[in-house]
Amino acid sequence: MGIHRNCDGRLRRDFLQLGLRGALGLGMCDLLRLQATAAAPQAAGRPVNCIMIWLDGGPSHFETFDPKPEAPEDIRGVFKTVPTTVPGVHFSEPVTKLAGVFDKFTVVRSICHKDPNHGGGNHYMMTGAPTPVPVGCGAFVTFHPSMGSMVSHTRGVQQGIPPYMATPSNTRSGGPNFLGGEHAPFVIPGYPNSDGFRVSDVVLPQGIAEGRMKTRRELRLALDRMKRTADRLAEDPAVEFDRFYEQGFDLVSSSAAQAAFDIHREDAKVREKYGRTDMGQRFLLARRLVEAGVSWVTVNWGGWDHHGSLADAYKGEQLKTLDQGVSALITDLSERGLLDSTLVLLLGEFGRTPKINPGGGRDHWPHAMSVLMAGAGIPGGQIVGATDARGYYASENVYRPEDFAASVYTKMGIDPHQKLETSAGRPVSLVNDGRLIRELFV
Amino acid sequence: MDGRMRLLSRPISLLTAVLGLGCGGVVSAEVASLAAEPAVIRLEAGAQASFLITGRHADGSESDATAAVQLTGADPAIAVIEGEGVVRAKAPGRTVLVAESAGQRVELPIEVAAAPQQPPSFVRDVLPHLGKAGCSAAACHARAEGQNGFKLSVFSFDPKSDHHQIVHGARGRRVFPSDPGESLLLLKAAGMVPHEGGERIARDSDAWRLLTRWIASGMEYAAKDEPVLDRLAVLPSERRYRKGASQRLVVHAHYSDGSVRDVTSLAGFYSSEKQIATVSDNGRISIDQVSGQAVVVARYMGKVSGSQVVVPSDRVLPPEAYAGLPVRNFIDELAYARFRQIGLLPSAPCSDAEFLRRASLDAIGILPTADEAKQFLADVDPEKRRKAVERLLAHPRYADHWAAKFADLFRPNPDRVGVKSVYLLDQWLRESFRQNKPWDQLTREILLTQGNTHRHGPAVVYRDRREPAELTTMFSQLFLGVRLDCAKCHHHPNEKWSQEDFYRMAAFFAPLRQKGGGISAPISGGNETFFVVAEAKLNHPVTGEVMLPQPPDGPRAELEGRRDPREALVAWILREDNPFFAKAIANRIWSHFFARGIVDPVDDFRLSNPPSHPLLLDALAAEVVRSKYDLKALMRTIMNSHLYQLGSEPNETNMGDSRNFSRYYRRRMGAEMMADAVADVTGVPTDYPGLPPGGRAAQAWTYKIESRTMDAFGRPNSSSDCPCERNMKPAISQALHLMNADSLQAKLSSTAEQATLQRLASGSQTPAEVVTELYFLCYGRPPAAEELAAATGGFGSDPAQRRQAIEDVCWALINSAEFVFNH
Repeated sequence: MGIHRNCDGRLRRDFLQLGLRGALGLGMCDLLRLQATAAAPQAAGRPVNCIMIWLDGGPSHFETFDPKPEAPEDIRGVFKTVPTTVPGVHFSEPVTKLAGVFDKFTVVRSICHKDPNHGGGNHYMMTGAPTPVPVGCGAFVTFHPSMGSMVSHTRGVQQGIPPYMATPSNTRSGGPNFLGGEHAPFVIPGYPNSDGFRVSDVVLPQGIAEGRMKTRRELRLALDRMKRTADRLAEDPAVEFDRFYEQGFDLVSSSAAQAAFDIHREDAKVREKYGRTDMGQRFLLARRLVEAGVSWVTVNWGGWDHHGSLADAYKGEQLKTLDQGVSALITDLSERGLLDSTLVLLLGEFGRTPKINPGGGRDHWPHAMSVLMAGAGIPGGQIVGATDARGYYASENVYRPEDFAASVYTKMGIDPHQKLETSAGRPVSLVNDGRLIRELFV
Repeated sequence: MDGRMRLLSRPISLLTAVLGLGCGGVVSAEVASLAAEPAVIRLEAGAQASFLITGRHADGSESDATAAVQLTGADPAIAVIEGEGVVRAKAPGRTVLVAESAGQRVELPIEVAAAPQQPPSFVRDVLPHLGKAGCSAAACHARAEGQNGFKLSVFSFDPKSDHHQIVHGARGRRVFPSDPGESLLLLKAAGMVPHEGGERIARDSDAWRLLTRWIASGMEYAAKDEPVLDRLAVLPSERRYRKGASQRLVVHAHYSDGSVRDVTSLAGFYSSEKQIATVSDNGRISIDQVSGQAVVVARYMGKVSGSQVVVPSDRVLPPEAYAGLPVRNFIDELAYARFRQIGLLPSAPCSDAEFLRRASLDAIGILPTADEAKQFLADVDPEKRRKAVERLLAHPRYADHWAAKFADLFRPNPDRVGVKSVYLLDQWLRESFRQNKPWDQLTREILLTQGNTHRHGPAVVYRDRREPAELTTMFSQLFLGVRLDCAKCHHHPNEKWSQEDFYRMAAFFAPLRQKGGGISAPISGGNETFFVVAEAKLNHPVTGEVMLPQPPDGPRAELEGRRDPREALVAWILREDNPFFAKAIANRIWSHFFARGIVDPVDDFRLSNPPSHPLLLDALAAEVVRSKYDLKALMRTIMNSHLYQLGSEPNETNMGDSRNFSRYYRRRMGAEMMADAVADVTGVPTDYPGLPPGGRAAQAWTYKIESRTMDAFGRPNSSSDCPCERNMKPAISQALHLMNADSLQAKLSSTAEQATLQRLASGSQTPAEVVTELYFLCYGRPPAAEELAAATGGFGSDPAQRRQAIEDVCWALINSAEFVFNH
């Protein structure tokens, strides 16, 4: 299928490897791997990968990308607006740095839905499907595959790299549902701003040098003597397992891939730009991961449910980290020429209530939210849609989570209208009636 | 079947060629006689009907000869042949069709009645055409939101709404009674005006004419006292085929007034085993090159009926091939009978080491210790396997292993129902298996629960599944092995279950009420008390009719003197002749030992998913009843069978066997098993948050207990609704985890006193002794000479090098298929 597409030099190299391994008696595994690689879809040029920054709890649209300076004080809040790189477009003060790189992204101000619960809203935005039953606010639920899992399902494993990763933990509805556990995200926990930070499992274990792994690999070759039945009729699961070991060994012996997982190799100046916080460094790690070939990275950031003292929180470190980190990420991707092949998404499950409550917070508000989208051909400096004068309701070019999901899938080279089958054999649409957000495809 | 038959004296070359039986290796192609079905074709003028001409061969096999015979004799004024095996009635009268082929002959009487006078009915006549044309398919107008404003119910579960949509929807624009042909319904369906679905009903086809007539005659919903569809029948109901054969099916609908209609052209078809038989939209079966059994199911307006397909092996082995096989119990007898029938030879028996490792993993979820393995191999007692089974079933780890397995079916998400509730349910389950509580008792305790969720474990099931509908879905899968959940919203697509069946079952749970602190995620710390109230009703969600409790396929519940209708459900479930209960648990336990069920998936018993060995399943179910639902007794019978003790390497006859258990099917260790195995082999336990120190993965009471190993090895996702799907497929994350996880390396390099590798590295054993010990720990066997040589190669005299070599050998053994798989 895709073999001729991968031609230039690559095919030849793979065949040389095949020859060498064939002599070692590993030919068939490589052949399988070759087939797996060949079957993976690839958009024209580089495949598009995605970094999704998930602000769990729901960020305020007023204090970020959709300020309402003309609204009464109990709606507009305490922040001033700041000009962006586009004349006439203003953001709110807490995202001043993002305002300075607005030429590189689009903000959709008019995505809305009707689920005011964290559990349900999360599910809707993360999968493109509403929950079939109401779910509570604390719920971690999955009824439909997440976008990351679907990308994993479509692309498969290439060069031994799990295609879907999440850091520092999986999101509430970021699971694979009926696509199967092999499409759950590979989770990278830990604190990437600390000196001891390591990514586990995809790099050699601590204290094991490359030479030692070579010894182990040879020892395994000599000792793993259970007879396999290669004939596909026999459905021997050990044969498939071998294929994953081959890929795993490829991964740990690829110095480029190993370097990518090691954030300590990054230029100190670049690390500074993202901000020396764990979250800032997670954005940087996400960039390194997509560079290494990970198809989808979700950065899961909790603590955006500001029912009280919202202004204090938005004046503090949290927004500083966000503003600096995300603007650095977009700038960095752009400077490296990676923005065209990297989709960047910044969102939570919903926006926040227009009226500030007595505790100085804003509550859940799914009727309007702002979503930042960059890269993968999305125009810079563009505002899509609008909310009404007081930020209550999406009022122009209104889009639903289905439209958002359909647009993301299309950017990822995946047909959003395809039918999937649940494990019970029930047919379901990947996205139900999603229409493209056409402003992202100009 | 009462068509006249004549003996055939010589082979018919025409038939042989047409049926594709001429290729080598086929036993006999001689056709001994012809037969026609149905016995008489009865139909109304203008209608069409299908018939079958069957060639019977000398070897007992049969084949579809409809296309090969010459058809003559029918009076064309009364009936004409219209395509293969189809007659169309022209005018009332009687005639006889004669099928002939090379001297063989069979007669088929045709009786044509006058065309019906009454107008067509929406329910009886129109809906089937909309179904067959795909209008009411889930992908078209039966989508939840309809299609372009026109919405039909999926599989026509709500005919009243469908009728309303067509007749009154879109302000009546869909039908045009004064000129029916100009109705939007027809123009769209025929693709005469732009229609996204294209042409679905050809102009002037039967469907077109029927719809036209229906619109013209006033668009009746149903005739007064309209006969009800009782059942379907498929011809042939059972047949043995040769490889590559093909067969047309005929489907008859039987109505409450005794009338029969040929609905072949309107039925849908589905094959249970697509590698054995496929079936086309118009009911033609094509047999592939694989021997085995399948069921082809025809469905029509919510009724189903099956045609059994048997494709015998063309390789029949001589009886001597089976002569030496040991028969330990009825399992072996029945399994071998099947092997003989389909030409399978079971794999060679497994070795003692394989047996002990397999039996330990299956029965108690842990590897045998090195000492246990050594003793077992050295034991010369011919009864040692049987004795090992007894030891395992009495082992203290038994309860945790089985409770963890069954927890997959019950365990709620603690975010939803609360930590204490989840823990209590878990502990109740563990205690149940510790006592070897009989399955009927455990079932009764769950089904009849009342009480408080902070006192009584099984009440938590009701806290999680709060609605009668949710309980219906769960309990029918769990205790009956039947998936009713499709029927919650619409008729089951390939089964007979209707919404009525679903809500009659749900009605058993209608009187259940709760009081106390309800669900309040993410803590849900409250507790609730569940109790039964008198006289609660449950209504059908579409018709509003009050549903009286009745189990699927069972009699209306006797509620006399019972305050809690669930008692009637339990009484029905625990009847010895219950068609589901014993089979469902026998099949579930079987699948734990044989990697797949006799019915698989284990909770999906239905006509279109038949058991691979019905007699064996019946016998196991009888054994369950006989032993009074003692699960250990069933396990003992299974583990002592020779079938369970077969090796996992295929031979040339059973390579493709994935349903008859002629070899042990390899499977990867499950999540908890793998986590515990690594800890046991290395002698370094894992600390789990939420478990006491020294706790084991098999004791985890929620899937939320953090463990990268268990995540990688596919434990259920606690966020799923329900968290009950366990992924047993190999995945890249598993290989990466075993190769590279820091946690595993830490276990290998641990210097704790009790750590296996510390003990071996600091001891005085020779390299050969060390390697032998590791082999016993990981594989329950000593290394072979070549293995010993390869594994001891890295040991030097330097202690650091010795340590490193030991770690590397242990790493290599854990990262090998012999460790990862239960084989």
